[in-house]
Amino acid sequence: MKPLEELTPRQDRIEKKNSALLPKFAGVLLLVIVVIVLFKTLGNASLFFYPVDEAVEKRVELQDRRFRVIGTPQPEIFETTLSGRQVLVFTLCTGDIYADVVHEGDPAELFNPGVPVVLQGVWREIQPPSMEKLRYSPNDGWHIETDSMVVKHDNDYRSDRAELESCSSE
Amino acid sequence: MTSSLTTASKGSKILGMTSIVGFVVLVLLAFFVTDPDIRFHPETGEEFGQFDAVRLLYLHVPMAIVTYLAFVVCAIASAGYLVKRTFWWDSMAHAAGEVGTLTCALVLITGSIWGRPVWNTWWEWGDVRLMSTLILFLLFLGYLALRGAFVSPQHAARPAAIVALIAVLDIPLINRSVEWWENRTLHQKSTLSELKIEDLTLFTLVLGILVSVLVVSWLILHRFRVAWLEHVEFEQGVKTAIEERRHLGHGD
Repeated sequence: MKPLEELTPRQDRIEKKNSALLPKFAGVLLLVIVVIVLFKTLGNASLFFYPVDEAVEKRVELQDRRFRVIGTPQPEIFETTLSGRQVLVFTLCTGDIYADVVHEGDPAELFNPGVPVVLQGVWREIQPPSMEKLRYSPNDGWHIETDSMVVKHDNDYRSDRAELESCSSE
Repeated sequence: MTSSLTTASKGSKILGMTSIVGFVVLVLLAFFVTDPDIRFHPETGEEFGQFDAVRLLYLHVPMAIVTYLAFVVCAIASAGYLVKRTFWWDSMAHAAGEVGTLTCALVLITGSIWGRPVWNTWWEWGDVRLMSTLILFLLFLGYLALRGAFVSPQHAARPAAIVALIAVLDIPLINRSVEWWENRTLHQKSTLSELKIEDLTLFTLVLGILVSVLVVSWLILHRFRVAWLEHVEFEQGVKTAIEERRHLGHGD
């Protein structure tokens, strides 16, 4: 009979297999992707949307460029026709700065005065239609033509005690 | 079958039963008893609010909280493994990481379903809260993939622990993003920390958090025990194989 061989699993062979470069490479690659995505996300997010006052201030700079704007719609929202298209006309504000908006497309389900919205569009140097009906219109000869609307809901769940966003000059 | 082949114990059965009962009560409260979110505009008198979509928050918010908790447990256990180098710490990290990835996926799904009626969008690319949560999910998905890339769990433990410790750094970023980028994200600020919630709504949300903690603890416990049994079985298998080889050797 032969002498009993060493039967313990050979650790060196297992380690050799596991020290393969693939998992390490995959790990590094994943980390690089995450860092790039994080960097890009934070970069974009810092320019995600302008409050109305900033959008008004940068009006010349933003001209002809699509941008996002956040603000609180004021009461008096009108539906009208502009060049054969159905549009919504209303005034948006942040603090005591107002801007008129002509929005094309379906409004968000929660679209309501006092509930902040984020709109995407461009500045137009022309009075909006039905401007005379807008109580809070700045009447400055400009409006934002938008076609995308999302709602920025507040964190208040106290039902009837919840406060609506308002603009300081109201 | 004998009870030795189960991962349940008397304690975990009590935990499981409590979790199930708590979850049923939560679903009843969230979807049938609490009121929908309806407000009346002070000027126009119009009805507005989240309506029935608000009910998803009783699942979404607790899921987000337990996701943080599970990943923090994963990170603590990973640090424990790097210090102690024992299977117990590694298994705990693995179990918490796996359950946390599941709850993180549920956070993204419930958030997206809620976002459609409330925000008017399923997803918003570039939103820092949404993207940082997605990154957390991808990081832990990578963590699990990394664990699976190695032949034996013991070789995956060290690199996985390092990945978990890096990935968990995303959590403070997610949590603070709504404050740091207040006007740069659609996501609202914390309701609980500002206590803008009351009565039955508050009770249901707190119950949701407690029930979610129970459910996640239950899942982590069982996942940990499964990993432990796998480990024991693997060790037993190696021993048996050696014994068989020895017998063969004697037989020659």
